Amino acid sequence: MGRSPRWLRLLVILYVGALIGVPLVFVFQRAFVHGAGALWSALHDSSMDAAIGLTIRVVLVALPVNTIVGVGAALWIVRRPSWVSRLVDRVIDVPLAISPIIIGLMLELAYNQSGWLGRPLAALGLTVLFSYPGIVLACMFVSLPLVTRQLIPLLREIGSHQEQTAASLGAGPVRIFLTITMRSILWATAYGVSLTLARVLGEYGAVLIVSGNITNLTQTLTLNIGANFENYNAYQGFVGAGVLATTSVVILLLLGVARHRERKRHEHLA
Amino acid sequence: MSISLEHLYKSYGHEPVLTDFSDVVPDGSLTALLGPSGSGKSTLLKMIAGLESVDQGRVILHGRDVTTLPARHRNIGFCFQDYAPFYQLSVFENVAYGLRTRKVPKHQIQADVTELLELVHLGDFAHRYPRQLSGGQRQRMALARALAIKPDVLLLDEPFAALDAQVGAELRGWVRSLQHELGITTVLVTHNQAEAMEVADRVVIMNHGRIEQVGIPAEVYDQPANDFVRAFLGPTTTFEGQSVRPHDLLVARSGDGVAAVVRDVIRLGFEVRVVVAPASAETIWLQLTHDEAQQLDLQVGENVVIRRRN
Repeated sequence: MGRSPRWLRLLVILYVGALIGVPLVFVFQRAFVHGAGALWSALHDSSMDAAIGLTIRVVLVALPVNTIVGVGAALWIVRRPSWVSRLVDRVIDVPLAISPIIIGLMLELAYNQSGWLGRPLAALGLTVLFSYPGIVLACMFVSLPLVTRQLIPLLREIGSHQEQTAASLGAGPVRIFLTITMRSILWATAYGVSLTLARVLGEYGAVLIVSGNITNLTQTLTLNIGANFENYNAYQGFVGAGVLATTSVVILLLLGVARHRERKRHEHLA
Repeated sequence: MSISLEHLYKSYGHEPVLTDFSDVVPDGSLTALLGPSGSGKSTLLKMIAGLESVDQGRVILHGRDVTTLPARHRNIGFCFQDYAPFYQLSVFENVAYGLRTRKVPKHQIQADVTELLELVHLGDFAHRYPRQLSGGQRQRMALARALAIKPDVLLLDEPFAALDAQVGAELRGWVRSLQHELGITTVLVTHNQAEAMEVADRVVIMNHGRIEQVGIPAEVYDQPANDFVRAFLGPTTTFEGQSVRPHDLLVARSGDGVAAVVRDVIRLGFEVRVVVAPASAETIWLQLTHDEAQQLDLQVGENVVIRRRN
């Protein structure tokens, strides 16, 4: 591959800088503008800490569930093709195509007290809307395809000969998955999980509708940031944004590692 | 261990792949399933291994019906055309895989794998990874991995197709002598007739999911059951309206035979091809040995006669 022309590289740097770099720097600049002491107390704002706590609890459920479902769905779609799995393959992209706010409305219609799914759950004493389960559901919905989409092309490329050979050598499905399949898809899965984490942390629209945005109760970190700006508490908003941005940068770095490992694997394949 | 295949049927959707296939592979034999691509031979091999389901019919291993038995309980060694190395595992761990699955004691695994790696000339490569091996080495590793479980039957899908000609030729001889040494019932799939003739002691010629002919290599070559088998096993040309082998024809300057004109003489080394045009038929070709061609010293444009050898 030849080097791209200098002017093109410069253009890309300027574009990315104007789009991402400068605004990101300003977020951190604003968070530090009143000094370390003010930042320290802002970080201990009780409603923001409650929001961070809720966000972590959402991640702890949504991330493992979507990872397991995502890996399972990818294996099912690639290894056991049927008309059902092909349908799932198409439908699984829906969350990427629909605006999150519409996803929120869809969930609200389905899960309200008289909704198709809300009514039987209410009979069991379970409230989904305006509470923790609803937020988890919304986050899982919007990030559903991210792991699966990473794995489908990879599983197709690897093929099933290694798995079939392992079967002929006496291995059962669980052993085949643990010793053969999982080792091949580990880094691609890590990449998909990072994307899922970023999506869950950053989700706003769907969660806004479903959670009711109740401070200290159903307010996630992104909602808390939004609320602070609306209530003319911009400084607190920038501190929240700084926390979220820092987390995202760390995820981005982890993502870079996963991608690097994945690319090295591909170079070995060639 | 013998393999009985009884009235096997298989189709993908409406596409029949295998139609009423029956054969008995004798204990200790090396059988080649030979046929053009799409003849159903690889599907049949996978059905024996349990890697492909059977629509109808039975697969019987040494008197035991295994038609619905999962692959992992069949104790069959299977090698794919791409060798399917476990890329994330070392050469040693690849070969040890089946033994670890069977919970063989560690010291036993160490001893068995070391012995197998010596057998396939990979003794010095135990700690390498598959990507660091050549095609021929990967194939030998795959063989060792399949042999490690002491399989009752060894199945090889196009074992030499992915190798370059010279390595393939070397490994063919090696696989043949290894099979004779171990005496393990082996079935290999190939589309290459020379490979089947060289390696196998029994050839099953397939076309469109059916058997065309079964026999020892010399027999199917010399007495082909039909024109398909004749054409598939070697070159043919048309003489007096019949399909014949080019080396079954003779060219002479006089005597009985069909009058023809020499169009071309192509010297390939031991084999010399002579292209001739009979007066009343299409151009045909025949094969002479180097010595025969030398003695005749045919010239292009010369008048000759063509007849069958006796």
